[in-house]
Amino acid sequence: MVDFLQALVDGVMLGATYSLLGLGFTLIFGVLRRLNLAFGPTILVGIYAGSHLSLAWPGALVPVVAVTVAGALLAGVYVERFSFRALARQAPVVSMISTFAVWMQLQELVSLLSPSRTMPYPSPVWLPAVAVGPILLRSDGLLMWSGATLIMLALFALLYRTRFGTTIRAVADSSEAATLMGVNVAMVGAAAFLVASAVGGLAGVLIAQSHQQVTPYFGLWATVKGMTAMLLGGAGSLPGAVVGGLALGVVETQTLWHFGGQWRDLVSYALLFLVVALSPRTRWGSGL
Amino acid sequence: MLEVQDVVTSYGMIQALKGVSLAARTGEVTCILGPNGAGKTTLLYTIAGILRPRSGSVRFEGRELAGVPADQVVRRGISLVPENRLVFAHMTVRENLLAGAYARLGRDGGGVKVDLEAMLERFPILRQRAGQAAGTLSGGEQQMLAVARALMARPRLLMMDEPSLGLAPMIVEQIFEIVAALNREGITVLLVEQNARLALSIAHHAYLLEQGRIAFRGTPSEVSANEAISRAYLGIKRG
Repeated sequence: MVDFLQALVDGVMLGATYSLLGLGFTLIFGVLRRLNLAFGPTILVGIYAGSHLSLAWPGALVPVVAVTVAGALLAGVYVERFSFRALARQAPVVSMISTFAVWMQLQELVSLLSPSRTMPYPSPVWLPAVAVGPILLRSDGLLMWSGATLIMLALFALLYRTRFGTTIRAVADSSEAATLMGVNVAMVGAAAFLVASAVGGLAGVLIAQSHQQVTPYFGLWATVKGMTAMLLGGAGSLPGAVVGGLALGVVETQTLWHFGGQWRDLVSYALLFLVVALSPRTRWGSGL
Repeated sequence: MLEVQDVVTSYGMIQALKGVSLAARTGEVTCILGPNGAGKTTLLYTIAGILRPRSGSVRFEGRELAGVPADQVVRRGISLVPENRLVFAHMTVRENLLAGAYARLGRDGGGVKVDLEAMLERFPILRQRAGQAAGTLSGGEQQMLAVARALMARPRLLMMDEPSLGLAPMIVEQIFEIVAALNREGITVLLVEQNARLALSIAHHAYLLEQGRIAFRGTPSEVSANEAISRAYLGIKRG
């Protein structure tokens, strides 16, 4: 029972960051109706930028966070410009292939510009784990959970409480109708892309401080986690992406505790397969 | 008010409009009849700026519209109630109405509030459903919402694409009463409709669009008097 609870708590703390990745994916997919495989790699660029800064300027936590987010934003602008805006008139699959090419570019770029494949990433807190009864709450996990929760609250407030957010949701719902209302859909798409990249960058900070290191394969990892969270949540639903991320985190940590680390990814992909195969009404991208 | 001159619009290799000319006069209801695939929706989409004409001109209140992007056309005073309504299904009825006033939100926040209240007054069912997701509304309610949403932009020309599509006859009549009432209040209407009989009952002028060309134009009584047309579109058999 204690094992189960411990794994559950760990899973929720981990899953909150998956939810963030899933939200970023969902925003882009929902508004542009195109899959951005390079979402993880844009975050990778941010984390490497933050890592370089932390090596040059040890102890500068706020600048490292800022540079990480800025790096992800910059890479996001690059992806939006070349894989989406430039290809807006092409079939969606063309954008997807293009994001795959950009992914490889970004992965090679960070490898070439870094002294080693594995780069360190600073953790802002060095607190001991907190014990709540028999459950241990690790400080990096607490930071992931609280940070992700704050970012999600801010994002949901932006999307559901502001005019800008309403416009984004309108475009996701029907870009044709939004155009008829006078919305410049291309501009809203670019703005949603930037919001997603910023959320991705912040998720990157939270994850990298927990891993305390990063390799060029982080891009693949983040794309897989984000896409899985999005698909588990029904592909196109923002609350769904949150639930999907949490579910993924919990399944991973439960598998880890009860069956061992080698089963962790296999079980989460099996879950994804089951959800996609068994939900004929999965709302493939209709509104947020 | 609206003059369409020799408009040609194509999708890739297919010419959907092969030189269409028509006019919608201020204060009137102009209806466009025609079979499926005749190019009626294409024509409305060309006027709305979603499609670009290959050649020809679209003038609205004396200014050229051809080539003006769709998000700017609504700012010129033209709103389109699209086929199948296209309400924002995941957003509330109130959010849908506010989205309709998107082009005015920054400049005229007070006016938008007044208009929102006026719409809820005019369509009481929308007030009842104001906080509900638009996707949960019935077809007729969605059509009312689509009309109200278009009106929120304060158009001088209201274009409607098949407002009767998929609705029960009683609801259809209600929608047409609303259109007629809007027209009496001074809104010019350009109506595309399969239900020719009903459309002609509120129209001042009618055009028949066949295979991308205007095949006939006239007043409703002239259309009804034309035997071939009434047989094909009004289902009237004579002799």
